[in-house]
Amino acid sequence: MRERYFSTFQLILLALFAALVVVAKIALRTPIQMPGHSGIFWMAIVVVAAGVVPKPGAASIVGVTSGILAGFLGMGDFGALNTFLSYTAVGIGTDLALLLLQDPENPVTAPISAALGHTGKFVVKWALSAITGAPAGFIALGLARALVGYVVFGALGGLLGALTLKALRRAGFFSYVAEKI
Amino acid sequence: MNQKKRILVALVILVVIGGAVLGLEALRRRRIAQANLEPGSIPIYVRGNVEAAFTPDDLDSLDQVSFEDAEEGKTQRGWMLRDVLLLHLSDEDLTPETQITVSSSSRDKSAQVTWAEVTDTENMVMFDLSGRGTLKLVSKLDRLNTRDEWVQDTDRIEIELP
Repeated sequence: MRERYFSTFQLILLALFAALVVVAKIALRTPIQMPGHSGIFWMAIVVVAAGVVPKPGAASIVGVTSGILAGFLGMGDFGALNTFLSYTAVGIGTDLALLLLQDPENPVTAPISAALGHTGKFVVKWALSAITGAPAGFIALGLARALVGYVVFGALGGLLGALTLKALRRAGFFSYVAEKI
Repeated sequence: MNQKKRILVALVILVVIGGAVLGLEALRRRRIAQANLEPGSIPIYVRGNVEAAFTPDDLDSLDQVSFEDAEEGKTQRGWMLRDVLLLHLSDEDLTPETQITVSSSSRDKSAQVTWAEVTDTENMVMFDLSGRGTLKLVSKLDRLNTRDEWVQDTDRIEIELP
């Protein structure tokens, strides 16, 4: 019988990470009033997911699943489709970046991968607004400010994720998981 | 390819994506700019005629306010609709029954409020700047306090004087 790409255990783990992304988005608040600030939490979770299940496509599954959950929960200001596509873009963007940069535990490559993944969300949101004919930004540099926010907070989330993965390795989590797969 | 080159390629991709988005947005701003109206500005119509426009320059003379929305507990921060209108219209022209319609053509959404509701600071009828830089009409009014009811990507304010 052909071996499945993701084991049931890995899929359960990824679904849990997806739920955690949505919970983090709902429950965690920062006093920072900058676009993309929530990326500090959820890019950390996506990077940890990609490290715990080290296969291409893991981050995409987290993105798609969290997008479905967030869409059904009515999260986001611009409707369910916008929410679903932007969450999915985070996963796919992170996966593509990790295909190039590989190691999600590396404190240099993880922030860059996460910044690219989070920028994917920004691009989807901007593209959808342009397609639907949304008005131009009220403040000329508003979009540039938003882009910087997405990159910076995405990168910080990636760094947090890499540090979490290192801590999990030190705690013996990966040896424990290896026995389960 | 060694890791240094991979990192460099990733950074170049990031810069190219950012540059492409900002470049295309600048082109879009130029294309959709209306005569005598700065891109992104919101025209204020009184009895069907453009009387004024809410422009980014107005922000210097407006105080920022904020409230936490009941739906998601997020902070909505921006400028009161009352202050925006009083920058361009006289208080004497507006009666408590004056109808103010804030709409978004791209979202095909609109919200109607009276001047009495707008001036009541408890209602917090205000514009919040969305993550992508467009304005969103938000409030604490019972019929205008959820994301479904708010007007995202606002591009028109209409005032019907009685």
